Amino acid sequence: MKDFLKQNGILILVIALLLTLIVAVLSFTFGGIANPFANLAGIVATPFRNGIHAVVEWTEGIYSDVFERQAMESELEALRQENAQLRAQARQGEAASRENERLRDLLNFQQKHTELHTEPATVTARGSSNWSSTLTISKGSASGVKAGDCVIDQYGNLVGVIYEAGLNWSSLMTVVDVDLEIGALIARTDGAAIAEGDFSLMSEGRLKLSFLPEGTQLLAGDTILTSGLMSGGTATYPSGVVVGYVQEVRSDPGGTSDYAVLTPAADLSALEQVFIIKEFDVTE
Amino acid sequence: MTTKDFTIKWLAYTLALLPIWFLEDFFLSRYPLWGVKPMLLPLCAIAVATLEGATAGAGFGLGVGLLFDAMVPSVPGAMILVTALLGLGAGLLAQYVLRQDLVGCFLCSVLALLAIDALRIGSRLLSGTASLGAMLTVAGREILWSLCFVPLVYLVFRWVFRRVPKATVL
Repeated sequence: MKDFLKQNGILILVIALLLTLIVAVLSFTFGGIANPFANLAGIVATPFRNGIHAVVEWTEGIYSDVFERQAMESELEALRQENAQLRAQARQGEAASRENERLRDLLNFQQKHTELHTEPATVTARGSSNWSSTLTISKGSASGVKAGDCVIDQYGNLVGVIYEAGLNWSSLMTVVDVDLEIGALIARTDGAAIAEGDFSLMSEGRLKLSFLPEGTQLLAGDTILTSGLMSGGTATYPSGVVVGYVQEVRSDPGGTSDYAVLTPAADLSALEQVFIIKEFDVTE
Repeated sequence: MTTKDFTIKWLAYTLALLPIWFLEDFFLSRYPLWGVKPMLLPLCAIAVATLEGATAGAGFGLGVGLLFDAMVPSVPGAMILVTALLGLGAGLLAQYVLRQDLVGCFLCSVLALLAIDALRIGSRLLSGTASLGAMLTVAGREILWSLCFVPLVYLVFRWVFRRVPKATVL
């Protein structure tokens, strides 16, 4: 201990304490903007992350070509069949849509229309913490990305929300993260609920749907959409984005209420390309 | 030790930190085992503290904490102080109670990982966002998986330690 005191050990601890306070104050003051240390680390890491991401992608592509060819062929056949079914459904949908348009015209209702202003980005790193579910993407404040922006995948499914934006990178918490709560809508019944991360489900890549409307009968496979409201009541993303699908319904440990376990619509473990919704206009 | 020696020594330790950080951040985070990813950055601070002693451990812990805080979501700034204190504690333990070898490093790593996860569990319990059972399961797996990397991390830093000037005077 004498050596420690002689060798300016106390000074090091004082510096550590001061840095802790500075980072904490900066983070709370500029909430959502990366503090200077995190920003610098992110800026330095981004080119490496991009490079390593490209190498890993290339390697995984070769592995898939060599070892997963048969599985991919089966998947392709299943997708062809699904495609044929969806085309049939789309034809029926078109007829219903035309009818809906005619009825809206009759009643003088304006068409509901959502316009998204998106920024494409690549997933460059996956969070290394087991206590949260985060992703790092390749666009930051230089591209107009800010904390609170919603992120979707190429199919329009919800991936998560940006919580920290650096200059050329951003971090987002995924839909399964414990700290994310989203106003949700059950597509089949139009009932409102809250989709939120749960610590024990997070490692399985799932989330839960709680505060279910009384008497709601959920079915496995029911689609859950965003209602357009965060739990705090501030809209930060459009309504109608697919959050996930009901997998099963469970009861709370106390047995007082039910909740549903959801599988996210976005494949979080294999995400490569995402789209950040920087702005959106909803015309009702 | 001259300023040049001092600079070269800590530059060497910093360079040794980079591949381990890359391994954790770019590779192991993509392929979790038992649903968890290992925590390698704190192990680096512990390895240097075991080899170099309390002061160097606290100093290197401070640097590792800055990186940890920047790259891993947690209470802003908290890991800077925590890893500096863990470096100090590991250095003292290895110098005066245990031995400055792989076994000493392993025991200090166990204590450090337990301390970090105890803090995480404590903060989650306070915020009421997770059940204790679920957190203990994750913490247990995380610590076990992380401990598998102690020999690798220790050997990397011992390799550097044997090639840099020994006395550390700040």
